[in-house]
Amino acid sequence: MDFAPVIDGFGVVLQPENLLFCLIGVTVGMLIGVLPGLGPAATVAILLPITLTVEPVTAIIMLAGIFYGAQYGGTITSVLLRLPGEASSVVTVFDGYAMARQGRAGAALGIAAIGSFVGGTIAIIGLTFFAPLVASFALDFGPPEYTILALLGILLVASVGSGTLVKALIAAGIGLLLATIGRDGFTGSERFTFDVLQLSDGIDFVPIAMGVFGLGEILYNLEDRNNNTKAPTKVTKVLPSKAEIKQSSGAIGRGSVIGFFLGILPGGGAVLSSLAAYAYEKKCSKNPERFGQGAIEGVAAPESANNAAATSSFIPLLTLGIPANATIAVIYGALLIQGVTPGPQLVEDNPDIFWGVVNSMYIGNVFLLIMSIPLIGIFVKILQVRAAILAPITVLITLIGAYTIANSVFDIFLVCLFGAIGYLMKKVGLEPGPLVLAFVLGVLLETALRRSLILFGGDPTGFIGRPISGTLVAILVAVIAFPLIAKLWKSKTKQKELV
Amino acid sequence: MTTSPTRRLRALAGVAVLALGLSACGGGNLGSDDSGENFPDGAINLTVGQDPGGSTDLIARALANPVSDDLGVEVPVLNRPGANGALAAKELASKSANGQELMVMNLSLVAITSLTVPEDDAINLEDYTVITGISEDDYVLVSNADSGLNTIDDLKGAGALNYATTGTGTGSQLSSALLFQLAEIDGTAVPFDGGSPALTAVLGNQVDVASIQLGEAMPQIEAGTITPIVTFAADRNEFLDDVPTAVEEGYDVEVAQARAIVGPKDMSQDVVDQLREAFTKAFETDAYTSFNEQNLLRPQELDGDELTEVWNQSVETYRQLTEEYGIDLGSTE
Repeated sequence: MDFAPVIDGFGVVLQPENLLFCLIGVTVGMLIGVLPGLGPAATVAILLPITLTVEPVTAIIMLAGIFYGAQYGGTITSVLLRLPGEASSVVTVFDGYAMARQGRAGAALGIAAIGSFVGGTIAIIGLTFFAPLVASFALDFGPPEYTILALLGILLVASVGSGTLVKALIAAGIGLLLATIGRDGFTGSERFTFDVLQLSDGIDFVPIAMGVFGLGEILYNLEDRNNNTKAPTKVTKVLPSKAEIKQSSGAIGRGSVIGFFLGILPGGGAVLSSLAAYAYEKKCSKNPERFGQGAIEGVAAPESANNAAATSSFIPLLTLGIPANATIAVIYGALLIQGVTPGPQLVEDNPDIFWGVVNSMYIGNVFLLIMSIPLIGIFVKILQVRAAILAPITVLITLIGAYTIANSVFDIFLVCLFGAIGYLMKKVGLEPGPLVLAFVLGVLLETALRRSLILFGGDPTGFIGRPISGTLVAILVAVIAFPLIAKLWKSKTKQKELV
Repeated sequence: MTTSPTRRLRALAGVAVLALGLSACGGGNLGSDDSGENFPDGAINLTVGQDPGGSTDLIARALANPVSDDLGVEVPVLNRPGANGALAAKELASKSANGQELMVMNLSLVAITSLTVPEDDAINLEDYTVITGISEDDYVLVSNADSGLNTIDDLKGAGALNYATTGTGTGSQLSSALLFQLAEIDGTAVPFDGGSPALTAVLGNQVDVASIQLGEAMPQIEAGTITPIVTFAADRNEFLDDVPTAVEEGYDVEVAQARAIVGPKDMSQDVVDQLREAFTKAFETDAYTSFNEQNLLRPQELDGDELTEVWNQSVETYRQLTEEYGIDLGSTE
C-alpha cells in the first residue's frame, strides 16, 4: 500500500486550523456526551451551517470529533448517576455504578478513559491498514446474519448483571415485549399504540433507559432515605491504581478487537460490541461472581469496545459510502453539502479528506485522554453533593434530555412512566439492564428475522445454508449447549464420586 | 445525613415547576394576531418530520440559512420524527397560523402514506396553507453491477426476484410495486428502514434490485458498483441522461418525491406573500442552487395554488393506480 497519502494526511491534520477544529469537536462531543438526550446526531446537525464556512476536511474533522468525543462523555453519567445516554454504554453501568458506590468512581472513569483511548487508537490503526479489506465484511452481513447476531446478543444479556438467571430472563422478556410497540414496518398495522400517534414509531431507547435506570434509582433511594443515614460516597482516590490497570489491560485489548470488528456492521454494531466484550470478560474471568459488584474489567472491556466500534463505524462510510448509524448519516450529509461524495471513490478522489479525517482521530483521542484525566477529579466531586440536591438536578437533566430527542413532551411522560416501572423492578429485584438491552436487540431481531424469512421464501433452514449465518448458528448452538453439557458432566462425576 | 421533610418537598416542587415549564414551552403559542404587520415576530420554527441527516432535513437546513438572513430572524430547524412525518404535520395543524410555525411537507406523506393508514391518521394538503414548492427528487431502480441485471427485460427473464424498498408507504415501495405488476415480473418486496440500508442490501447481494432516491444512489452509480435500470421520473434526468424512464420503456409508472413549505390552515395572504418572497430569494442564492445540483434535486418552486394542483393530481393518480392494479401498500406482498 502507498503510504505517501497517509503521511500527507498528517500534514493536513497538523495545520493549526484543523487542530483547533479537532479540539473544538472533541470538546463539544464530550460535553454533549455528558448530557443524556441531545445526542451526537442532533448536535452534528445543528452545527452543519458552521461547517459551510470552513474547508471540507476541517468540517469533517470537527464533526467526527463530536461523534467519538461523545463516546467518552457518555461514560461519565453512566458511572456517576446511573444514566446511560446511549445503548452502547448500558453495559458500563453495572460495574461502573457499583464501583462509584464503593467510592471507586475515579478508578472507573480513569480506566474508561484509558480503555477508550486504547480502543479508539487500535481501531484507527485497523482503519488505516485494513479499511478496504474489512469493508466487504459489512456487506456480507445481510438480514439472516443480523438475526443470529441479535439472538446471540439476547442470550448474552442474561449473563449481564448480578441477579439470577431467571430474573434476568424476566426483565429481558419485558424488554422484548416493549420492542413490539409501534406500527408494524412490514404490514403497516398498529401494535399496542392505543391510537396514540406518538407511539406509532415505537418507543425511543432514551426514555426507557433514563426511566428504568436513572429515575427508578432516584425514586428507590428517596424511599430509602429516612432509615439509611449513609454519608455521601467518599471518593478515596481519583485515578486507577497500577494493580487495577494491570488487571484491566487484557480486557482493554480484547474489548478493542471485538469492538473494531462489530463496529464495522451498520446498525446495532456498537451495542453488540460492548455487550459481547463484557460477556466475554465475564466468561474468561477466574472469578466471574465479581462482575456486577464493581469489577474493573466490567468497565474497561465495554468502554474499549464501544470506542473502537465508534471509530470502525467510519469504515463503511469512508470506503463504501454507507452511513453506519444516525450520526454518521449526518456527517454523510455534511460531506455532500461540501461537494464531496462519500463512496468507493473517496480515497482516490479526495485522499486529503480521507486521510486527514482518519489521522485527525489519533490526535483527537490524545486530546480526549489529556482532557478527561483532570476532569475526572472534578466530575467525581458530583458524588459528594447531597442526594437532596443532586437528585432533583439529575431528574431535571433526565427530563430535558428526554425532551430534546424529538422535541416532544410525550417523551417526558414516558420517562416518568418508566421511572415508576424501574422503581417497581428494583423493589422486586429485577435489573433494568437486561430489559433495556433486550429492547434494543429485540427491534433488530424482529426486523432482521422477518426480512430473512421473506428472502428465504418462508423457509427457516435458509439460515444454515449461508456461510456466515451458518457459522453463527453453530456458535449459537455451542453457547446454549456448552453450559448444559458442563452441568451434566459435573453431576455425573459427582455421582461417580458418591459411588 | 438527614434533610427535613419541608426541604425535600421544596426540592420536589422545584422539579415539578420546571417540568411544567418545559411542557408549556412545547405547547406552542396561541392567540397572537394574524395580520401580517408584525410579521415576523421572533424566530420562525421550521419543523422537519424526519431524523437529522436525511434528504428532507438537509433541504430544510439549506433553506433555513438564507431565509433567516432575508427576514432578519432566526429560523431554527426542529426535527420532530415520527410516522413518516405525520406526527409533525398533525402538530403543525393545531398551531397558530401566524407564520411563525412552518414545516417541510413531503409529497409521499400526503399521497402514499395516506393510502396505508387509517383515515384519521391520513394527512390532507387542504388542512394546511402551502407557502411554496421546493424541489423534486427522482427514484431510480438499481441492481448490483455484478448481477447482470441491466434492463427491464433482464428482470423479466430472471425468474423470482427480491426487491428492497425504503419502507412501507414510501415512493420506493409504490414505484417498484407498480413496475413489477405492469411488467409482470415475479417479485417480493423486502422493506428496509430507509435508503441507505436498502442500498447496502443491493451492494451486498442480499436483494436483487431496489428503488431508491437518485441523490442517494448517485455515488455508487458513479463508482460503478450499481447499475441504474430505469428512473421513475417524467423526463430523463440531466445527470443520468443515458438511463431511460419507466414510461419510455412502456410502463406508465411515474413516482417522485417532492417537498413543499407549508404552514397551518388559514394563514393571512400578506404573511404568505412575505414568506414566499423570502423563500424565492433563498432559491436564487448560489449556495442553494449548487446544493440542488450536488444532490440531483430538480427545482419545483411553484406557488401555493400551482403546487396544490400538482400534488392533488399525484394523490389521485396514486390512489387510482393502486386500486386498479390491486396493490396493497400495507402488506409486503
